Amino acid sequence: MEVVIASSPVDAGIGCWDLHSGAEQLRYRSCTSTPHGLACVGQRFLASSQLRDSSSSSGSILYWSWSKPQVEVKSFPAEPIHPLVSNSDGMYIIGGGSSGAIYFWEVASGRLLKRWHAHYRAVTCLFLSDDESLLVSGAEDGCIRVWSLFMVFDDIGMEMAKNPYEYSFSEHTLRVTDMVSGYGGCNAIIVSASEDRTCKVWSLSRGKLLRSIDFPSIIEAVALDPGEHVFYAGARDGKIYIASINAETTSSNSYGKHIIGTLSDNSKGVTCLAFSKDGILLVSGSEDGTIRVWDAKTHNIVRIYRLAKGPVNNVLVVRRPLYSNRQTSENSHSSFSRRHAPLLPPPLGKYVNSTDENVDSGAVSVPQTPSSDIMDAPYLSYHVLTKQISELQVFFIFLS
Amino acid sequence: MAAFKHFQNMYDISLKPRLLRSLIRDHLPDEKHPFPRPSELSIVVSAIKTHGLLFESCREPVDPKQVDNWKTAIDAWVERLLLLASSKMPDKCWAGICLLGLTCQDCSSDRFLASYSVWFQKLVAQIQPPSASHFVKVASCASLADLFTRLGGFSNLKKDGTSHAGKLIQPILELLSDDSSEAVWEGAVDLLRSILIYFPASVHRHYDTVEAIIVSRIMSEKCSATISKFVYCLALLPKSKGDEVSWSLMMQKILISINAHLDDAFQGLEEETKSNEVIRHLVPPGKEPPPPLGGQPMSGEASNQATKASEQFILHRVSLLVCSCCTMLTNPYTIQVTIPVRPLLALVRRVLMVDGSLSQALLPFFTVIQQESICSDLPLLHLCTLDLLTAIIKGVRSQLLPHAADVVRLLTEYFRRCALPALRIKVYSIMRVLLISMGVGMALYLAQEVTNNAIIDLDFIAYGWGRASYNPNSKATTEALHQPSHRKRKHSTITASFQVQQSGVGREVETVKNKQVTPIAVQIAALQALEALLTVGGALRSESWRSNLDLLLITVATNAYDGEWANEEKGISVLSFEPNCTWAEFQLAALRALLASFLSPSRVRPRYLSDGLELFRRGKQEIGTKLAEFCAHALLALEVLIHPRSLPLVDISSRSQGEFVSSFDHRLPENLFSVSQKNNNCTFPGDILVMDDPELDDDLYSSWLGNGEETDVPMSVPDKQLRSAQELCGKDVWQATGDCLAEKILSDSTGALFLMEGDGGATGAAHMEIGGNGNVIMTESEQVQEIVRNNDVEAQDKDIVISTGSFTLIEGKPKKGKAESNRIYASKVATTISSFSVVNGMDSSDPVAAAATAKSTPAQGGLITTLISEKGRGLSLEYNTDASMDSFPDIVDGDPDSD
Repeated sequence: MEVVIASSPVDAGIGCWDLHSGAEQLRYRSCTSTPHGLACVGQRFLASSQLRDSSSSSGSILYWSWSKPQVEVKSFPAEPIHPLVSNSDGMYIIGGGSSGAIYFWEVASGRLLKRWHAHYRAVTCLFLSDDESLLVSGAEDGCIRVWSLFMVFDDIGMEMAKNPYEYSFSEHTLRVTDMVSGYGGCNAIIVSASEDRTCKVWSLSRGKLLRSIDFPSIIEAVALDPGEHVFYAGARDGKIYIASINAETTSSNSYGKHIIGTLSDNSKGVTCLAFSKDGILLVSGSEDGTIRVWDAKTHNIVRIYRLAKGPVNNVLVVRRPLYSNRQTSENSHSSFSRRHAPLLPPPLGKYVNSTDENVDSGAVSVPQTPSSDIMDAPYLSYHVLTKQISELQVFFIFLS
Repeated sequence: MAAFKHFQNMYDISLKPRLLRSLIRDHLPDEKHPFPRPSELSIVVSAIKTHGLLFESCREPVDPKQVDNWKTAIDAWVERLLLLASSKMPDKCWAGICLLGLTCQDCSSDRFLASYSVWFQKLVAQIQPPSASHFVKVASCASLADLFTRLGGFSNLKKDGTSHAGKLIQPILELLSDDSSEAVWEGAVDLLRSILIYFPASVHRHYDTVEAIIVSRIMSEKCSATISKFVYCLALLPKSKGDEVSWSLMMQKILISINAHLDDAFQGLEEETKSNEVIRHLVPPGKEPPPPLGGQPMSGEASNQATKASEQFILHRVSLLVCSCCTMLTNPYTIQVTIPVRPLLALVRRVLMVDGSLSQALLPFFTVIQQESICSDLPLLHLCTLDLLTAIIKGVRSQLLPHAADVVRLLTEYFRRCALPALRIKVYSIMRVLLISMGVGMALYLAQEVTNNAIIDLDFIAYGWGRASYNPNSKATTEALHQPSHRKRKHSTITASFQVQQSGVGREVETVKNKQVTPIAVQIAALQALEALLTVGGALRSESWRSNLDLLLITVATNAYDGEWANEEKGISVLSFEPNCTWAEFQLAALRALLASFLSPSRVRPRYLSDGLELFRRGKQEIGTKLAEFCAHALLALEVLIHPRSLPLVDISSRSQGEFVSSFDHRLPENLFSVSQKNNNCTFPGDILVMDDPELDDDLYSSWLGNGEETDVPMSVPDKQLRSAQELCGKDVWQATGDCLAEKILSDSTGALFLMEGDGGATGAAHMEIGGNGNVIMTESEQVQEIVRNNDVEAQDKDIVISTGSFTLIEGKPKKGKAESNRIYASKVATTISSFSVVNGMDSSDPVAAAATAKSTPAQGGLITTLISEKGRGLSLEYNTDASMDSFPDIVDGDPDSD
């Protein structure tokens, strides 16, 4: 089931709607998420980094399982974490701290495997490349850096290398608000948005700026058309601008060079964008607390969900496993799904523990479907029979 | 049944019971008839298998009378089998048991469920003591194994199956501990395996005994083919408890046992501390070590005495235990378990570091014979250990990340020393797995290593002194396929690449000279590794190795072809040392790698594309071979390189307002996007998104169309300028393909479009000019290729500015100026600058627009911006008044930074 999940910086919980039927699912309570601070970890559970009042020095990351509205696991990292991402199999959670450090946790054990100083100012957004070997981080000072995760874990190589990162882009002058990456592994493009009112298109393989587009308003969110002809840029003025990625356009229209149109609903500022898997439905979150689902083809609004009175700051479109669905619809079965829903992992660690170098790193093998076993054990008697018959024949020939 | 009631045909259902009855009558023994020749039995088996005589079901509904008839025939068959199985005569009993096993496998579910417990009783009786014949025992084991395999398919019978299987464990253990024949052990261990797979819980009670017996078999000095089955059972054993502790304990025990064996085997070959390192990871300080594997003391003084006598078996045992580890790592387990990655890797490192060399201090204590025996067994052990490394990578998946650098370092270090074909093949395959699973980050690490090694392994085939002596034509073929100008370049690159190697690798080059030929299997492995490398990391930081690799691969593929494709069936391999690696497989691997080299993104068009296409075309003609299949696939995949297209992912025309139409919210009175479409008609491919005409979805099609219609439209720009612009485009499109942006477009004509739209003077006519340019580019591609080839990376880099539009105006200029002042590529720079000004022309042709553009980047700071916009205005004036080539030098001179 493809669902839209959305969270808000005010305590409105995490809303969850079926993308295609529009039915609201369970609402997960007590979440005040940071921008880009909502992640679905390996389709197994939801995690969100929390806004903290400035007095507390530690951060907070909460877990919810699909089937329960309450927070199940609370972690308190050493500093407030802003953006949060997870890799596709949910083995790792990566968070960007307010000091500019990036935290790398192993989900199964909760251990903090690595913490490294990535930026001079707070990290604002993070994403993993297609093959999940590169991490791209954006910061408040406008800096974007591309990290090879192998390099990050290779202490020897790190010492020899000139820079710990693969690329560092400093063309943005103000806070990076959002980044997306396109298709194509190491040949992908990155689109970044910043408070300097530009969106920039980068080539990952060459590490270069390809195009910079000026917008009439600050862009808070970007989403890439799966065909990569255009990208959608959600602006503070409430419009979603459509900007072309590769073609040269005339500057005849009213918005500016490369901007070829808008999706607009006369609403408040757009804060976040996400595409559905089919690449047609575009989901946007707004400052007025609503979530709009657009048809990117026709530019019409297909559906509107309401999350909160306050702004929405995260929307994700994720696939949700079906087993937990059963429980939300029929409460009588709750004991059943509690038994079947996997338990949530332990909380995330606070510090990199250097003393447990010798202890096992806790890699975990995931149980696979045992169907492959059937292939391993074919029926035997036919082979045994033919073998024995041929042995017997030799024996008979010997006798006669 | 009437004797004259004929069958419809051979599929007729009434044939089956009749056939079955004939088989029972003519070929099966009974109480009175003696056992016929064993060949009679194989007639029975083949008839049953061919006609499906026991299925008891058919596709279309038939007369229930016939079904009944069939049913009674099978009833008779089973009855006869049971009768035979209880016979006192061993041969009859054997026949009954064997056929009962077959019946378990083939009969209908209903029949199986109704009678399996009866059959079980019959079969169990035969593996218990009174039965004397080994033959019967083996047959009953196989039949029982099939019974459990079939039973395992019914998920609702787990409990019943487990209780049945539980009764069997004791007899199986007796069979295994008896000093009986090998065949019986094999049968018993097969049965044990089936039970462990389908009803593991039944072994729970006998866990320790089973472990002890399996281990004692593995440790016994008899090496045999069946031993691997014991190894497999040992790995499956933790499933019988199904919890994390027993899995981890088993893994720990096996690792400790391996380590203890290695202590014995490697005495004097390595530092003493190596052993402790593994143990330290396995048993944290302060914790009790687990009981030894199999319950018997394996390490310590007592075992030393025992193992000394059997030194040659130590390494063999270690490899068996390593195999068991591999199985544990790669087989699915019921719950999540923690894999001890560190000790496993420490163990792998420990083994791979030992190469049989002796430390100087120990030379006197080591006899040559001892060293000989160790060295002869080491390769096998290394092979197993590399398998273990593969299993670790598979088992821990993405969680290898924290250890990836260690693994890669270990592997590359090993690779440099590794000289045996089988080991090199393994290392290549591990690198392939690493590359594919870990992506571009891994490619950054491994690229140089894989390339260097592959060049060494492929050198003779690539550069002609191996195969060429065998076939004198091959070199001529190569030369014929390459144009003269290419050849010059090629040879220089080869020497260059070898120079690189010599400085980089040093020692291997010496060995290369002594090495006669690299086995084909190694070359195939090298090609596969290259294919993986190009697939994953062809674009990122690949400048240093990419062009060498592309050249290598086209050369290898061309030489591999040498006039004819090898016949796959013949399997003649002149150079192969291994019978299963044929020249045909090598050709296939070469072509696969070549395709990857073409498809992997790079900054220029694949240089050897047309040579490659020719190879694929010829390969496709080898009808009925794998090679032809692959070539057809390659031609399909390469078609987009010839006819690039950038279609939107969302196909508007085919989706006619589908599932969401009912829920559309039509609040937007007017579609802004379509309005914008009217304004700038068809000027960019993005517009396809909103086009109504389905034919226009195909931008390639529309560009062809546009080309045809508008050739006769009068030029709105002076001819001279257009021509120069065309030249510019011809050159620049190719440079632009280098940058990622243009690759996105993937289209020559679209690329031209995007440059040409910059032409401010001809906004209206832009589209048709594009069509024209597209043509020019197609025909000029050879020349353009040449230009690009002579071009160097530095000069290409400058061209990125073209695509970045107004913003880069500001910082683009100094860059140009620098290049100009260097005067290295003077002509090149002039070209880029002129094209640059064409793009600029668009922004600045209208002075107001130019100013507006400049102002729209307020973040860039006021002073510079106005300065530039001033300049832009001047520039545009010149451009508009005298739009000829002569004006360009003026512009360059006008730039203060350029001189």
